[in-house]
Amino acid sequence: MAIAERTAGTISPPDIHARPGWAGWLSTTDHKRIGIMYLVSAFIFFLIGGIEALLMRIQLGTPDNTFLTPDVYNQMFTMHGTTMVFLAVMPLNVGLGNYIVPLMIGARDMAFPRLNALSIWLFIIGGLMLYVSFFAGGAPNVGWFAYAPLTQKQFAPSAGVDYWIIGIGLTGVASIAGALNFIVTILNMRAPGMTLSRMPLFVWMQLVVAFILIFAFPVLTVATIQLLFDRHFGTRFFLPAQGGDAVLWQHLFWFFGHPEVYILILPTMGIISEVLPTFSRKPIFGYAFVAYSGVAIGFLGFLVWAHHMFAVGLGPLANAFFGAASFLIAVPTGVKIFNWLATMWQGSLNLTTAMHYAIGFISMFVIGGISGITLASPPINVQQTDSYYVVAHMHYVLFGGAIQGIFAGVFYWFPKMTGRMLDERLGKWQFWLMLISFNLTFFPMHLSGNEGMPRRIYTYEAGMGWELWNLLSTIGSLLLAVAVLLFLWNMLTSLRRGAIAPADPWDGATLEWAVSSPPPSYNFAVVPTVQSRRPLWDRKYPHLHESHDPGEESMERLGAVMHDAAETEPPIPAGAIHMPSPTYAPLILALGIMVLGFGIIYLGDLGLAAAAAMLVGLLVMAGGIVSWVRISHVDSPHHAH
Amino acid sequence: MRTHPRSLARLVGPVLLIGSFFALAACANTPGNTYDPQGDHARRIYELLIPIWWMALGVFVVVQGLLVYAVWRFRRRPGSAAMPAQVHGNTQVEILWTVAPAIIVLVIAVLTFRTQAANAVMPADAMRVTAVGHQWWFEFQYPELGTEGKPIVTASDMYIPVGRPVTVVLEAKDVIHNFWVPKLAGKTYMIPGKTNYLTFTAEQPGIYRAVCAEFCGEAHALMRFRVIAIDAAEFDRWVAQKRVPPPAPSGTLTVNGLTGDAARGQALFLDARKQCISCHAIEGTNARGAIGPNLTYYGSRQTIAAGILPYSPENLGRWLREAPGLKPGNLMSRVLTPQWIRANLSDQEIADLVAYLDSMKVSVALPPER
Repeated sequence: MAIAERTAGTISPPDIHARPGWAGWLSTTDHKRIGIMYLVSAFIFFLIGGIEALLMRIQLGTPDNTFLTPDVYNQMFTMHGTTMVFLAVMPLNVGLGNYIVPLMIGARDMAFPRLNALSIWLFIIGGLMLYVSFFAGGAPNVGWFAYAPLTQKQFAPSAGVDYWIIGIGLTGVASIAGALNFIVTILNMRAPGMTLSRMPLFVWMQLVVAFILIFAFPVLTVATIQLLFDRHFGTRFFLPAQGGDAVLWQHLFWFFGHPEVYILILPTMGIISEVLPTFSRKPIFGYAFVAYSGVAIGFLGFLVWAHHMFAVGLGPLANAFFGAASFLIAVPTGVKIFNWLATMWQGSLNLTTAMHYAIGFISMFVIGGISGITLASPPINVQQTDSYYVVAHMHYVLFGGAIQGIFAGVFYWFPKMTGRMLDERLGKWQFWLMLISFNLTFFPMHLSGNEGMPRRIYTYEAGMGWELWNLLSTIGSLLLAVAVLLFLWNMLTSLRRGAIAPADPWDGATLEWAVSSPPPSYNFAVVPTVQSRRPLWDRKYPHLHESHDPGEESMERLGAVMHDAAETEPPIPAGAIHMPSPTYAPLILALGIMVLGFGIIYLGDLGLAAAAAMLVGLLVMAGGIVSWVRISHVDSPHHAH
Repeated sequence: MRTHPRSLARLVGPVLLIGSFFALAACANTPGNTYDPQGDHARRIYELLIPIWWMALGVFVVVQGLLVYAVWRFRRRPGSAAMPAQVHGNTQVEILWTVAPAIIVLVIAVLTFRTQAANAVMPADAMRVTAVGHQWWFEFQYPELGTEGKPIVTASDMYIPVGRPVTVVLEAKDVIHNFWVPKLAGKTYMIPGKTNYLTFTAEQPGIYRAVCAEFCGEAHALMRFRVIAIDAAEFDRWVAQKRVPPPAPSGTLTVNGLTGDAARGQALFLDARKQCISCHAIEGTNARGAIGPNLTYYGSRQTIAAGILPYSPENLGRWLREAPGLKPGNLMSRVLTPQWIRANLSDQEIADLVAYLDSMKVSVALPPER
């Protein structure tokens, strides 16, 4: 067995590579620090998106309410959707992936640490630019789906839509760069012996998501740039009155938008596939089925976009095709659910908070999956689409599913990241309060939707039969906020007073538990050699090793033969490990892009002044690139590989 | 947080109670309830939903039951440190639960395609009504029923005969809207630059609530309409009256202590300085504005301003005074600002206009609200 020296209980070595204080964070290229920055900034955006949701729920609590004006309400649902998708759930997954994936595969960092830093800065700047719109004439008010031609300047004159285009564009570049980074890292930097068939399922799902991302996001980027040109430079891509096509936007948007659903949910399915085995003390049931069903979902996700468009009038044949393809997704999804159940079956279930959330994920995701079946059926869809039924369905998938999965991941990995345990008692209170209030909030929406309540209405009249459902939803949403505050409290107090986390608090099976909590900046003093899917588990319980899945054995022999030599290698002194130097270059480059972005937003209206801003932005970018190249050059001669 | 079998059993009662409450409530006869279909299109959807609903319930019970059972049965008990058997998988079992959902969705797909085909049929003898979506109101034209090539044009109330298929030709003037009469038919988008068709038959006379279901801008929530389904003879009577312009107005109407004069009201309406005719048309007069709704026989409308106020002379007066506050963003409020109204429309003039618009009525026996 040749994994790294276990450092449980020892103090992690000083971080020799980071600058102290704030400078350390602004100039970091450490995947762990970048992961934490993703998680913290995405959690802040999650809180803001939650406040937007609460304001909407207060407005809808009673009929004919005047708490919000229609325009403010429209800004709220646009920003809530945009925030939760692009600025909360996606980056929370990226943050967990950024921190955990290199550790899980036995790597010392991501393949491109500086590109990784650029991604986090572009993400933060993109998110901030979206929110600047509130102070620049109003936030976007056209929905996160931004259907044409409502987004044209004549219908949406405020700069909100332009901020939306640029903000989404920047987070999109961040995501694409991040996805390429994940792909190269996962394919090239796995520890010796970690074949694809031994890779943890969380890593598998991050890999699938990275591929989805690089195919889906550019389509959105192109569509939004076309929209920008429509608004400012006289093109008519989406303006039917002048020969454009409003439906084209929907095709482009949903060709991105449906795969986006899997970008949000697959990483959390990966989390569940780690948490359930650990707390069941069993390996995942049907590793290959779970991995390949994720691949199948990712692939099918590109063939179903028009099920968001069944009421558009594409014709019965197109609707039938997209309906059938959507039904097919039930198969790999069902496989995952059953494999998770089988993983728990005859296990020894340790019902920690993370396990509570993993079980809650399965339960709520099943409801979201079932309610999706009727939406996949074109005839039923035309009754349910654009009604509150969809709001219910989608939140069972993205809150009951993705958010609960992320909470499972956070409770699972928080000790690894911070060196402190979260309070389990408080965590379980949070879980039950969240589960109950989540259902109180979103279950009634199935009913209000089926009783004819359309989405995205800022008010409704009394007497439609929707009053009770809306009141229950509003009460539920307030309790949900309390549950989130419980987590915030738990996190803040545990960071200071939580029990000290050992290296391996959960009796884990994967490599991240083989290093101290938190890990040293270089992760592994000795790059481990892997001989199975559960490298740490097999080291701790060698007597159980023989009960291996025969399919895995044949795949593993190759890796084992190649890397046995590593076992005898002496540990390398910490200082001798080459790590990328800290640098401000990515931050400078991102700031330059931000200035360029502001210039683009106002180029149509301000002309020369905006062009000057663009020039300044380009110069700052050039400065960033030059210093980037210099630091790469300085770093490269010492390269240890 | 351990779950005991007895506490699980104790949960069954409340869960059943809550479940049946929701089930009953969902079936209540509320105005927009898709579970209370009154048209063939909506009924076929409902009939497809029921078997799928039972299958879904079956899947729900099985999966949640297995999950709860697994948590209860295999939870770690204090003091038991036994290591469970390290089972990695079982190919046969996995093939089984790959095939099982595939069979279920295959059945659902077959049922789905049958319904889809039935709901796509457009009979040749269907009556055509063109519905046009505007920010934020619905216009209805009856091209086959007008005189001299001019269709019957109205807004916000869509009259149709019961028992005869109606093909709605869906268009949009500005942005995308979505035509939804939950009790009669599923939604179909109204898209600028594209024509869509939706065919349905109302099975029962009734006034049906309907809305725009696609977000279409500031006052999207206030874009509603009614479908008024009446029996064929009554519908023919409605058509016969709508084909001729309203007679010259006469008479007075007292609202809130002010007596309006209909003839004076017509003169005001046609006075370009009062701005009405820049946007509105009334058959048989010089009012030919094509931007706002056609106001011919306005006195028979069910609602004011696309469903936001029930029709009454009092509410009409209120609308003329307070349009900007009642429907934010609407086009009329950009002209009839409070300052403009103070300068150009006295309370007496509003009373006259109300008397005129209220005087134009079509006599139809109205069906009940459904």
